Amino acid sequence: MYRLIKAESFKLSKKLKSWLGPLLVMVLVLIAFPLSIDISQYDLDKFYFSIIVVSLLMTSFVATEGMFEEDFEDGSLEQEFLIEKDFYRLVLSKIFVYVCLIGIPMAFIGALFSFANGVAISSFAKVFLLLILSNLLLFNLFAFGNALSINKGAMLGVLSSLPLSLPVIILLGRAIRSIQYGDGFFSIIALMAGIGLIISAIMPLIISAALKTHID
Amino acid sequence: MFNLAFENFNEIIDMDGHGIYVWSVYAIGISIIFISFLIAKKRIRDFQKKVKIKNAPS
Amino acid sequence: MITAFIHKFSSPKSFVNLTEKLYPFFIIIGVSLLVIGWTWGLLFAPQDAVQGNSYRIIFLHVPSVIFAELVYFFMAVCAVMHLVWRVKLAAYLIKSAAPIGAMITFIGLFSGAIWGIPTWGTWWQWDARITSTLILFIMYLGILTLHGSFSNLEKADRLMSILVIIGVVNIPIIKKSVDWWSTLHQPASISVSGGSSIDPSMLFPLFISVIGLGFTLISLGILSSRSYILTREKNKKWILDRV
Repeated sequence: MYRLIKAESFKLSKKLKSWLGPLLVMVLVLIAFPLSIDISQYDLDKFYFSIIVVSLLMTSFVATEGMFEEDFEDGSLEQEFLIEKDFYRLVLSKIFVYVCLIGIPMAFIGALFSFANGVAISSFAKVFLLLILSNLLLFNLFAFGNALSINKGAMLGVLSSLPLSLPVIILLGRAIRSIQYGDGFFSIIALMAGIGLIISAIMPLIISAALKTHID
Repeated sequence: MFNLAFENFNEIIDMDGHGIYVWSVYAIGISIIFISFLIAKKRIRDFQKKVKIKNAPS
Repeated sequence: MITAFIHKFSSPKSFVNLTEKLYPFFIIIGVSLLVIGWTWGLLFAPQDAVQGNSYRIIFLHVPSVIFAELVYFFMAVCAVMHLVWRVKLAAYLIKSAAPIGAMITFIGLFSGAIWGIPTWGTWWQWDARITSTLILFIMYLGILTLHGSFSNLEKADRLMSILVIIGVVNIPIIKKSVDWWSTLHQPASISVSGGSSIDPSMLFPLFISVIGLGFTLISLGILSSRSYILTREKNKKWILDRV
């Protein structure tokens, strides 16, 4: 497992565009939104969190694009299958690496930009934690979409996994509201953490089944 | 229960102003279902034609 | 024993022969019931006290939405049969049922939107039922797109079955979460049937329309599956014998 994590993090850190690209997309969207809307700064806080949520969604999709494509094309998926007989550990380590290398910076950027809506510094930790958990969920779901469509283009993966991500978005919006109004945060976070753990455990199984179909 | 709910034909079409909604929904709905049947039947016919042509010389 | 039973009835050839015999039965009953139900509902049922005559859309809208979900559950059952028992016919049925499901979901959304104009003054509302039906429509499109993207059809069948099963788990989740969302942000909207029980003079034509649409969709499914099975099995001898 450690071998896989090391290999995956090496691969991802070398591919600058896969790692830096999504983060820059997120920054761009978060900057472009207030510029494009004709609204006073004090009213901005009503909408700003929704743009953080939407940019998170878009960036997760961009970040997981072609997650398995290179491995499929160059045969390392098959090699991995011969060694492990199963893709569970590969998928788990891949998603773990993606969440660490891309998801955590995304959460940091999102939490940083949330100050644009006047969120108190003390809430930074809450927003940061929330965004990390949502990234965990979204990366798992979009990884599933990518596993289905492997080299057929990103749009197919999105179409397959977008309906799965909508409940996450709703949960995220509810959690952000609880931070804004200072009420019920702990229960939402606990719910998200629980769902996140279950999804992180089960999704790699499903993704592994989809990948096995591709290499048959 | 089986009295006609409308007085005359014009009332049926008009339905107190709601007729356009009701009739457009039914017209489009029925045409969509009907066209689906036609498409399915056409596909079967085309396939049979294709197979007949393919096997004609043999 | 179950496996033997399933494999006995799951040959595409026996399925096509059986459904060919059943087709006239289904189409005649389906169309007649629809004609009876819709004539009764459109012309003979009394006006609604609250909504006037626009409520008559219910006789198309409610059956469509019911079958939008039923077709998906049927596809989910077939997906399980395909993945667990490797029944090829089940995959053919999913692929034939998906366009029908998409079509009937579209009719449900479209009829609901037009019904909303005189009733709510708007053609769309973000409440649980409507949003989850829209997402169901997107899922149907996703399933069709996924299957169509792969040239290796066996692979496409398996991937499609996986997606259908994940989707069927997703439907109640979406319903619950959008419901949760909308109860926070909006007052409860007027429900389709007006909340209280429906008068029998409206309930009977509705019931007849549901059954009629069901039989009609089954007969459409028979045609659609026949054409798809013929294309997929086109090199088999029994196809050539038929034609």
